[in-house]
Amino acid sequence: MSTKSVLIKTKKILLKQKAVLAILAMIVLMLFFDTQFFTVYNWLNIFRSVTVQGIIAMGVTMTVLCAACDLSVGGTMCLSGVIAVLMINFGVPIPIACLCALLSGALVGAVNGFLVVHQRTEPFIITLGMGTLLKGISQLLTDAHPIACTNMSFMQIANTKILGQIPILILYMLVIFLLFFWILRFTNYGRNCYAIGGNYEVAKYSGINTLAIKWSAFIISGAMAALAGILLSSRMNSASSVYGDNTGMLVNCGVVIGGTSFAGGVGGAAESFIGIFVLQLMTNCMDCLGIGSYVQELLQGIIIVLILGFDCYSRLKKREHA
Amino acid sequence: MEQKKDLILKVSGVTKRFPGVLALNNVSLEIPKGVVYGIVGENGAGKSTLMKILSGVYEKDAGTIEFDGEIIEHTTPIQALRRGLSIIYQEFNLVNTMTVGENIFLGRFSENGGMKGTHQKARELLDSIGSKIDTYSLVGDLSASEMQMVEITKALSFHSKLIIMDEPSSSLTAEELKKLGDIIVQLRGQGISIIYISHKLDEIFEYCNIVTIMRDGCVIDTKSIEELTRSDMIAKMVGRTIENEYPPRAHFAGEPLLEVRNLNTSKLHNINFTLHKGEILGLVGLVGAGRTEIIRAIYGADKVKSKELIMEGKPVTVNTPRDAKALGMGLVPEDRKQQGLILRFSVGDNITMAALSRIAKRGILNRRKEREIAKRQIENLSIKTPGAATKVLNLSGGNQQKCIVGRWLELDPKILILDEPTRGIDVGAKYEIYVLMNKIVEQGGAIIMISSELPEVLSMSNRVLTICDGRITGEFSPEEVDASVIMDKAIG
Repeated sequence: MSTKSVLIKTKKILLKQKAVLAILAMIVLMLFFDTQFFTVYNWLNIFRSVTVQGIIAMGVTMTVLCAACDLSVGGTMCLSGVIAVLMINFGVPIPIACLCALLSGALVGAVNGFLVVHQRTEPFIITLGMGTLLKGISQLLTDAHPIACTNMSFMQIANTKILGQIPILILYMLVIFLLFFWILRFTNYGRNCYAIGGNYEVAKYSGINTLAIKWSAFIISGAMAALAGILLSSRMNSASSVYGDNTGMLVNCGVVIGGTSFAGGVGGAAESFIGIFVLQLMTNCMDCLGIGSYVQELLQGIIIVLILGFDCYSRLKKREHA
Repeated sequence: MEQKKDLILKVSGVTKRFPGVLALNNVSLEIPKGVVYGIVGENGAGKSTLMKILSGVYEKDAGTIEFDGEIIEHTTPIQALRRGLSIIYQEFNLVNTMTVGENIFLGRFSENGGMKGTHQKARELLDSIGSKIDTYSLVGDLSASEMQMVEITKALSFHSKLIIMDEPSSSLTAEELKKLGDIIVQLRGQGISIIYISHKLDEIFEYCNIVTIMRDGCVIDTKSIEELTRSDMIAKMVGRTIENEYPPRAHFAGEPLLEVRNLNTSKLHNINFTLHKGEILGLVGLVGAGRTEIIRAIYGADKVKSKELIMEGKPVTVNTPRDAKALGMGLVPEDRKQQGLILRFSVGDNITMAALSRIAKRGILNRRKEREIAKRQIENLSIKTPGAATKVLNLSGGNQQKCIVGRWLELDPKILILDEPTRGIDVGAKYEIYVLMNKIVEQGGAIIMISSELPEVLSMSNRVLTICDGRITGEFSPEEVDASVIMDKAIG
């Protein structure tokens, strides 16, 4: 009895979550090939590669839930890394340099929020523009060269391993994921984000502080992107203005693939994480299969379009039946 | 009756039913060629529904429509247009970024000889009604009356035999209105019939030959204009005395609770009034008169030029709905689906929305209390739902409305503002809402109520204010004053 209902429930969730379905499909597909895919090392690798984008995705989820989006995260991440490394090379203590980098991200978020919430600009365009602007700043600061960090202890932030072989990045990701999961599920603030995205006017008339909350979502998004930038630079022990070129698009895309709707008010931390995971898993599969990078990009595009298209199609069908 | 063969439109026994509402009940009209035919009635009398059936937006449930001697079974807006029936809505259907000529022949460029022929033909048509608008100017740059000319020209371009004008004067100045009058006379001279729908009775008397009065989806009377007086017309528009549709009026009015002083916005002029404890105050006026704007300004939802609020003797500031809520106000807005509810959310989430910050300890939600609140309000208001987790989308209109009311009741509001609280809900649910309103004032709350259904406001309110063109034009006690007097003030 109960196993049956569990099965039915699982089936429902799977059909609702196209991204989970895609993950399972990929895993099944890989069974047919003799690759390094099913090794502990590879899976640790997958999870580690998810961390940077996953952390950014948590912040972006906040903005998307509020019926906006944040495409500037790539630029924010890049700039934050550059700031951190430049300051450390200049002799600033590492914690202070990291804090400044984090604040730079929060500042970018504050400006984005001001433009979107108070000036009612279109978030897609304005954050895209902001990302380009930030990349420009990074290029000016680094003269478009990668800069290596001269203080070796900076590297340890992201390159330490715990419990033998688990990269510490995964722990960071886990902590941040749980934090956002908790905020969105169990706090008044999180619930208000859903309400704002669900219907801004209703939220406003219900006495929710819509302006402040939507604004803060952008600040959080900026700060998370900056944190990701610090971790990435630490891992690479360098900063470069080419980091994060595609990140903005990919992360927002991943968030939506996971089921956090651009229309706002639907989704959550877990959904977004799954969305990002799909994208990374796909890259990993293709790497394992030795598919060339041009074809990889093509396939990635096809899968994204298919998942989103199928999702919209099934939702449309559902509405017709209702 | 001898002109029977010269009818352009004959509507007999048309009935239209919406879920819970009988919008048109056995409506029959006969419109001769070359007349201006006025249709008047309160908001919700069924005028717009009838016009939408004629123009093919809605399907009728029963009855026949005969247009120009031909029985029309089924029609779509474009078919209706091609047959020669066009409708000019209150909100213009024009593409602002295209030129006048392009708008007139939108979608029909090739059959008119390309852009050159299009502009040429547009010019001829505009000349024929004596308009000097350049066919190459952008519609977005035109004034409201010029846009209306373009709409009329567009109707003419389909060789219309019947043009329906829905509230054509609402956006026109007095001078522009005169121009419109000239054109109406001219069109009538060409044998074109016009259905003229307006709330402004002066215009009806000036332009129309025959007038039909509608109420509650029925045709009440059709008379030629000479046989009607203004007071007749108003009496017939309003005149109904259905008892027991409303619970007995509550009387608990006490000391002043909220004084509104010197309220001015771009649409409102010098609004002053006082709301007392235990009172239901009704705002009466036509759609667009400024009723909703008044309550939105008080609630802090719109920008104001000046506003003084005095609550329980103390001046207060309300700049956002948040401030209003903190002072104990609640708003049940006009558009339930757009402004009142998050349709994708559950019944419970919609009910607890405003109370969350109160029950959250240091920002952390308390699921148990949330469930309690939802359960309490669902029972309290007898909301018919399978459970608190059901999506609010799946509830009937009346139960949806109760969810919004429940959201505020949980906060024990001092002032509850209800904007069209019973729009689109059935009679039984209406009665429940009325009883609920009385219960709220009984417990010392006060209600400001807006409704387009005059009998409803008059039966529920202790006091009504009439609003016209953004001004308060009168204050009445509906128990002592006749409905037609109040309606007269509201029409202005």
